[in-house]
Amino acid sequence: MKTGELNKDSEMLYSGHNACPGCGAALAVRYLTRALGPNLAIVLTASCWSIISGMPPLTALKCPILHCPFPSAGSVGSGVKRGLKATGQSDTTVVVLAGDGGTFDIGLQAMSGAAQRNEDYIFVCYDNEAYMNTGMQTSSATPFGARTATAPYPLFKAGQKKDIMQIMAAHGIPYAATATVAFPDDMENKLKKAQKISGFRFIHILSPCPPGWGTESSDTIHLSRLAVSSGFFPLYEIENGVTWRMTNLQEEKRTPLKEYLSAQRRFKQMDEARMAQLQQEVDHDWDCLMEKVVTCPSE
Amino acid sequence: MLTDTVQHEKPCYSCGFEPSTANKTGDWRFLTPEKRSRLSPCRQDCLLDGEIPQWMEAVKQEKWEEAWDIVSRYNPFPAITGYVCYHPCSDNCNRGELDQGIAIEEVEKAIGEWRLNNIKPQQKLVKLKGRVGVVGSGPAGLSCAYYLNKAGYEVTIYERTALIGGMLALGIPEYRLPRNILSRELNFLEEEGVRFIESCSIGNDYDLCQLYEEFDSVFLATGAWKPRRAFIPGEEDRKVYNALDFLSAINSGEKIEISDPVIVIGGGNAAIDSARSALRLKGINHVSLVYRRSRAEMPANQEEVEAAEREGVEMVFNALPREIEKEEQTIKGLLFDYCKTDLNGLSIDRSRSFSKGCGTVIMALGQQADLSLFCNVESNVSLFAGGDLVTGPSTVPEAIRAGRVAAYSIISELEGSPAPKLMLPEQPVVTFEELNLATKLNVKMQHREETPALEASRCLGCGTCNSCGTCFVFCPDMAVDIINGRYELNLDYCKGCGICVKECPAQALVMEGGR
Repeated sequence: MKTGELNKDSEMLYSGHNACPGCGAALAVRYLTRALGPNLAIVLTASCWSIISGMPPLTALKCPILHCPFPSAGSVGSGVKRGLKATGQSDTTVVVLAGDGGTFDIGLQAMSGAAQRNEDYIFVCYDNEAYMNTGMQTSSATPFGARTATAPYPLFKAGQKKDIMQIMAAHGIPYAATATVAFPDDMENKLKKAQKISGFRFIHILSPCPPGWGTESSDTIHLSRLAVSSGFFPLYEIENGVTWRMTNLQEEKRTPLKEYLSAQRRFKQMDEARMAQLQQEVDHDWDCLMEKVVTCPSE
Repeated sequence: MLTDTVQHEKPCYSCGFEPSTANKTGDWRFLTPEKRSRLSPCRQDCLLDGEIPQWMEAVKQEKWEEAWDIVSRYNPFPAITGYVCYHPCSDNCNRGELDQGIAIEEVEKAIGEWRLNNIKPQQKLVKLKGRVGVVGSGPAGLSCAYYLNKAGYEVTIYERTALIGGMLALGIPEYRLPRNILSRELNFLEEEGVRFIESCSIGNDYDLCQLYEEFDSVFLATGAWKPRRAFIPGEEDRKVYNALDFLSAINSGEKIEISDPVIVIGGGNAAIDSARSALRLKGINHVSLVYRRSRAEMPANQEEVEAAEREGVEMVFNALPREIEKEEQTIKGLLFDYCKTDLNGLSIDRSRSFSKGCGTVIMALGQQADLSLFCNVESNVSLFAGGDLVTGPSTVPEAIRAGRVAAYSIISELEGSPAPKLMLPEQPVVTFEELNLATKLNVKMQHREETPALEASRCLGCGTCNSCGTCFVFCPDMAVDIINGRYELNLDYCKGCGICVKECPAQALVMEGGR
């Protein structure tokens, strides 16, 4: 967002929504609706945003929202888009908005089906790395070592975070990308690019959650930036499941993961050995990613 | 439901929904962000306390009139200071840590020139508040006259010489301050209603006590013109000048008897000005500057010293003049002793003396104020004095500051209003590390730009909101409004998350407890 272009009229999100102070998901949807709007319809599965969008008669978005059951986001999105096409409104962008639970766990089969059918809509997952709305229970998006309501101290999330991007790439969908709230320009570019493509498009947005991650509400952007600079959440896009491309020119020297982890209370009891283990995983994922990406960066 | 609300120009809410703006989330807040300016390094170092980041911001948006309004609160002559000030403001510019400091003086100059070109002098028709006399038309007197005149006083300036401007007209060489800038500033003042009386020396032509009777208040800014002497044999020769006489002779166009080579004695700014001016005279090929201490101890401005060296002035250090050598009444040379500073002060080594041939000697050993003016002032009058007269030889901006301070002090005395705050409040300066440059959305590595607006756009606005929009972009609650291009916090919806405070690149926001 360039300073000269900032104005409130193009925003699709109203003040007065029900997100917690410092909510990354609210910011993510703000950038998303702004980039894709105004001709937009949102299909919303059970997630934080079911609450944030407001209790009737109030609504936090200037576009229509269709709430749907937890596992069905992928199929409801397909139906809405087909319905709009059938009534001659094919220029309306359909966005399915789901949390990490509605994408990684409960919504996976419907999403996988829609991706396989190459349904024409954008599936956006805002990932706050646990079921934050219901009380911070572990999801398959929770990173290794984090404490959650279902893995309280001295337990911790034992397995690795599911690599949803690889899953989506394996579906061979036309476009998939990662984005995060600290880089609104990057997010906007990806969403606009996705809007121009038809077929199933997937955007994975890391959105820090102050109460769930145990961080200061003012640290949202800082953490989101650290996640990228440490290589924990690299920003890239995948075209047709084969062309992998980094979208920010990341320096070879990444910041140590420890800086990112120590700012969050969910990793407070993490000892050095486990931190080293997670760092190793991140390094490994980074190396795998580097093997896949094409050398020339986007545009 | 879907088809009903799919985009109209304005949402119609026929679906029965209303915007969530009815929900004033501001009452969730227990910490409140607040816009608060902090001290920038440039303002800290500015001899005039100027609000540099503020007018930089105005120039960036090309709001020249606003820029002039901000500048003139502290500096009525930005065109002059843009040329002559040694701009200590840019020395510690935080931008210097990133690529290159801002050329603050160039932007200042541009504001001054814009004002001279675009603003018409406005003479107030009625002046009722009082009459003030100013003795001395140097920078201190002029700035005092400007502020008093603006506040509605009738000001008369008395000048000893035939040229208005004091040190600006006589002391500062033309290569440092173009004379048309000075004369335009003076015309401006005159057209706005300041009276000038030239060739009238208070003390000789006119009595100071009489001045006190004639005016409601008097400001004394006669400067420091009395040269210090070296007390060495041969000093009385007509080809031994003191620096100020030499400079004012050049500046007022008098003919000077001068012969090659020239030696300038001294290490201050007057010495450098004399040396550079002498080198510009016809028939002078060699100028050397001799200073008794080392280069590091020179009080002159470093940039000026470097410029002098580039122009070919020879620098000699650690040499103290002992005697001016003459042959048949003409100067042949100067005898120097080696000397250096140590724990005992200046120690002289006579065994290591040397001689240097010369035709002219210019003494720039510093000046003093002439205090004989005060001899018969009665003790019951309020005495306002400022500039070099009070501080001893200093710089143009310091004199301008003294004039402003005097003007406000005079106003507060005559009107019985509370004394103005004259010093900036003590507070920590915004450091480079504090600036959150990771979020600065449009910081690019770039070097000095050609136009003032582009140059000003490089300003990081340390401690001052410069409308970068970061708070707007990162607010999850849309609680930042844009009002006339400025960003204002909307506390009706602010939940107090503090992202704006943490991410503000300029450190212009603080978090306060409570609502």
